[in-house]
Amino acid sequence: MAKQYGFYMDTERCIKCWACEVACKQWNGIEAGTIARRKVHEVESGTFPNVTRKFVSMSCMHCGDPACAKVCPAGAISKRGEDGIVVVDKEKCIGCRYCFFACPFGVPQYTETGMDKCDCCIGNGVTPGDMPHCVATCPTQALQYGEMGELADKVAGKKARQMADSATKPSVVVS
Amino acid sequence: MTQEGKLTRRAFLQGTAALGAMAALTGCASQETLKPSPAGEAGVASGEVEVRHAWCQMCGPARTHCSTLCYIKDGRWTNVEGNPEAGNNWGRGSRSLCAKGNAAMAVLYAPGRILYPMKRTGEKGEGKFERCTWDEAMDAIAAKLLEQKEQYGAKSYGVLSPQFYAVLGTMGRRFLNVHGSPNYMHSAICNSQRMFSRLVTIGGPKHAQATDTAPGQLGKTKLLVVWGYNSENSAVNQGNPYARLNAIEKGLKVIDIRPMQDGLAAKADIWVPVRPGTDGALAMAFLNVIIGEDLYDHDFVENWCSGFDQLAEHIKQYTPEWASPITGIPVEQIYEVARTMGTVKPMGINIGNGIGDQQNDGHWTVACACLIEAITGNLGIAGGGGAAMVSPPSLIKTKGVDELTEKLPMSKEDEEKGYMAGVSDLVGPETPRWFQTMDTQESGPTTAYYKGIMSILTEEPYPLRCIFGQSSNPLSATRQPKKVEEALKKLDFYVVMDTQWNSSCDFADYVLPACTNYETDQQFGTKNSTDGTFIAINQKIAEPMGESRSDWEYYLDLAVRMGYGEDFWNGDMDACLREQLDGSGIDLEELRAANKGIFVERTDGAKATEPKYQDYEKMFASLPNGKVQCYNEWIGNKPNCDDTGMISPLPVYNGPAESIAGTPDIAQEYPLVISDVHAYRLCNHSYYVDVPYLRELQPYPWVKINPATAKQYDIADGDWVKIESKHGWVKMVARYLESIAPDVLMSRRGWWQPCEELDLPGYEHLDGGSEINVLYDAEPENFDPFNSAMSKQTLVKISKLEEGN
Repeated sequence: MAKQYGFYMDTERCIKCWACEVACKQWNGIEAGTIARRKVHEVESGTFPNVTRKFVSMSCMHCGDPACAKVCPAGAISKRGEDGIVVVDKEKCIGCRYCFFACPFGVPQYTETGMDKCDCCIGNGVTPGDMPHCVATCPTQALQYGEMGELADKVAGKKARQMADSATKPSVVVS
Repeated sequence: MTQEGKLTRRAFLQGTAALGAMAALTGCASQETLKPSPAGEAGVASGEVEVRHAWCQMCGPARTHCSTLCYIKDGRWTNVEGNPEAGNNWGRGSRSLCAKGNAAMAVLYAPGRILYPMKRTGEKGEGKFERCTWDEAMDAIAAKLLEQKEQYGAKSYGVLSPQFYAVLGTMGRRFLNVHGSPNYMHSAICNSQRMFSRLVTIGGPKHAQATDTAPGQLGKTKLLVVWGYNSENSAVNQGNPYARLNAIEKGLKVIDIRPMQDGLAAKADIWVPVRPGTDGALAMAFLNVIIGEDLYDHDFVENWCSGFDQLAEHIKQYTPEWASPITGIPVEQIYEVARTMGTVKPMGINIGNGIGDQQNDGHWTVACACLIEAITGNLGIAGGGGAAMVSPPSLIKTKGVDELTEKLPMSKEDEEKGYMAGVSDLVGPETPRWFQTMDTQESGPTTAYYKGIMSILTEEPYPLRCIFGQSSNPLSATRQPKKVEEALKKLDFYVVMDTQWNSSCDFADYVLPACTNYETDQQFGTKNSTDGTFIAINQKIAEPMGESRSDWEYYLDLAVRMGYGEDFWNGDMDACLREQLDGSGIDLEELRAANKGIFVERTDGAKATEPKYQDYEKMFASLPNGKVQCYNEWIGNKPNCDDTGMISPLPVYNGPAESIAGTPDIAQEYPLVISDVHAYRLCNHSYYVDVPYLRELQPYPWVKINPATAKQYDIADGDWVKIESKHGWVKMVARYLESIAPDVLMSRRGWWQPCEELDLPGYEHLDGGSEINVLYDAEPENFDPFNSAMSKQTLVKISKLEEGN
C-alpha cells in the first residue's frame, strides 16, 4: 500500500498558543490579514463553573479519497502517490470554488493566485515526510506528523479516532 | 482607521521629512508579502539561504531564553525556528517556538521603528519633535545629568526598570553605581515580589535562591497546585507547559487557581475561579482548615517552624465561611482544596505573578502559600518544593558584568542606620530600607517604579529630576497613567530609548532610537543541561535600521561623555564582552564566527543528581532561629517600606481598594470585578501589538465576559463596551467566555501600538482609551506594605458603546 502521511492532534496537550498558525504563515509566506491554512479551534461546553474547554488545531486533512480533487474541473488538485499529500497546482486553478463546496471540512481558501491550502510544507522546501513547520514548532507536541500507520501506533490505548468517519478518509487522528 | 482625538506620532511624522527617509531606509513597504524561502536543506546548501543564530527577544529585549535560527534570503530575514542544538523547551532537538517567537521578523522590519534621535521642540505631550544627531543628544544628556548631580545630587536620577531586562540589571546598574544614584525604579510588578516573600518565610541564602515551593522533580509529584501562574502565556516555550502535560499523562493531579480558565487550567482536575485580588483570603482559609483539621506534619512543625502556635491561634478567625463571600468560591470547595493540599503528598505549588505582585496583599498571599507547603511537610522532599535535581556544572564558565556595587557611595545616614550604601537616598523604597541588602535585592537598592514617578508630583522626600526609560512605557507598565502623565509633564528631564515610539515619548526631551536584538552582536547567553553546554552570541541578522544603536552602547557612550569612561571600558563594548568571556575557553572572535552557536558536549558521563533531602538546617539558615517563619520575626513589627506603620508578623488580608465584599457601597454602583492578565502569549507586556501575525489573532482590545452577564446588559459578543470604575473609563470589545465568573471581567493591558499593515489603530492611555490601568486605584498607602505590590483589581460597571472603534 502506498504511504500516507497525516497529522495527529492531541487535544489533551493543545493549549491554544497559536504557534502552529503563525509558523504556518511565516514559512509559507502568507500575509497577515489574508488566509490561514491552519486554525486553532475551540470547543467550550457546560456553564460556569462547570466548564470544559478543548482546543483543536486543524488544517487540510489530506484525505485518502479527496472530494476536492474529484470535483475540480481543471484538474488542479491531485493526491501524490508517494506520500498521499494533496496538492494544488495554482497554474491550473480557475478559482471556481467547487472544491470548497465539496470539502466536508471547508478547507479550501482562495487568494488572487487561486485555491490555497496546506501542502505539509513541501512547497516551502520541507522534504516530503519530514515534519511540517506547524508540527516542528508546537511547544507541547500536541501536533504530530507521520505515516498513518506510525500515528496509529502512537495513539494506541488513547481514546483517539480518525477524523470523523467521513467517506473521504481524512488523514488526521484526533484524541 | 486612525487613532482618534490627538495628534499621533505617525500623523506628526508625516508632516516631516523623517517619514520618507524612514521608508527609504527600512525599505519595508508595509504591505509587502513575506517571501517564502527555500529553507529546506537544499536552499541552505546552495548558499541561497543563510542561517544565523539570535536569542529570541519576543519575551522582552535582551532575553536569552530561546535560541533561534534565523533564515536570511537576499539580505532579508524571512523565517525563524527554534535552534535544535541549544536545548530549548524540552531539550536538544526541540525546534519549537511560541506564536510570538514565530512572528519575530516583524519586530526588525516594523514600520513604527524609531530611526533617528529626536529632540522635543513643542510642549511636553504635544508631540512636536525634530531630528537631531546622536552627538547632540548624548552631549545634552551628559551635560544635564552632570548639572543635576551638582545641583540636586546624583540621587535625582532614576531609571525605569520594567520586567527583568539584562541591559538594565547589569550595565544600567553599573551606571547608577558609578554616577551615585540608588534609584533603580523596579516595577514592583515582578518575580522579585515573590522572591522577597519566599526568602523571609521559607528561607534561601539570597534573593535569586529563595526556597521554592514549586516541585523540582515534577515526575515524583502527586499534586500540583498552580496558583496565579500562567506559563501558557508567560513562558510557552520554556519547558513548563510541556513538562506539566507529560506529568498529567502519567497521573499528576492538578488544582489550578485563577479567575479565567486559560489553556493549561483547562487541563486541571480542579479549577478554582477565585475572584481577582482575593487570593490572600483563600490562602488564609486553606491554612485555617489545614491547621484546624490537624492535616499538618507535626514533626516538621515542632522541629522547623517558629511561631506556629501563634499562627494557629491567629488563623482560627479566617474560616472558609469567612473567605467564601470574599473570594466567590463555595465553602465546600475551599474545604475540598485545603484537605487535598493537606493530605496528598508530595505536593508542590507553582506560585505565579498573579498572586505575588499583581495584588496589594501580595506578600501575605505568597507567604501563606509558602507556609502551606512547609507545614504539610512538602519542603525538601522528592516531588515537593525546594528539592530540584542538581544539574552537572556548566562546561563553559562565563562571568556576568560586574555591577561595581562598591562604587555607590555610603552616606552618613546609611552608616548611622546600618543600611546598605545608597539606601537612605532611595526616593520610594520598594521594600523597607532596613530590609534591603545585597542578599535580599536582585542587584542593589530599589525604588518602586510608581512611587519613584510620584515623587515628581509630591516632591517627597525629594523629586526625581531626570528619568531614563529604556524599553519601558510608563503609561502602560504601571498603574494609573493619568497620574503618570501628570508627573511626566512636570519632570525636568525625561529621556527615552526604545525601538518604537511608545506613548510616553511625547513627554520626553530626547527620544533615542534603539536597535533590536537582531541588529547587534553584543550579548551572549548559555544553556546548560546534562547533555552539555550551549553558548551563542547574537548574530547581526541585519545592520541597525536608520541610526538606531544598541542599548548596551548607549551606556558606554554616555559614561565616556560624563567622564566615567575608565569604569566603562573606555567605551569599548568588545572589551566588556571579552571580560565576560575571560577564562571560559572561548574567545569573542570564535563566538562571533559560530553562526549557530557552540555546543560543548558533556563527555565525563556526569548526570543530574538528587539533592540532599530534608536539609532544613541549610535551607532555613538565613531565617531567624533557623526556622520557617509562621510568626515572622524577620519583617514583623518593623517599619513598612514607607515608614508609615509596622508590618504585621502574622497574615493579614486587606483586599483590593475596591471589591465586592470589602466595599459593598461602591459595589452597588459598580457591581463587576475587573482585572487583566499579567503576561499574555501574543504580546510582551504592552509591546508587539503592532506585529501583524499577532494582531490579526486579536485585532481589538478585549474584555472577557460571561455570556449570562453580557446578556443582562444587552451586550453581544463582539460589541464595543464602556467600562467605568470610580477612577476612569475605557472602551473594549466584549468577548464571550463561559469559563469566567459572572461577576468578573478579565482583560489585557497595552494596545498603544497601531498595526499599520492591518490598518488597525493604537489606543490612548487616558479616559476613553483602552489602557486598563486607568481603572485601578493607585494610592501608595494601599500598596503592599512590604513589597509595594499594587492592586490590579477594581469594581466597574459596563455598558454597550454604540460607537467603538
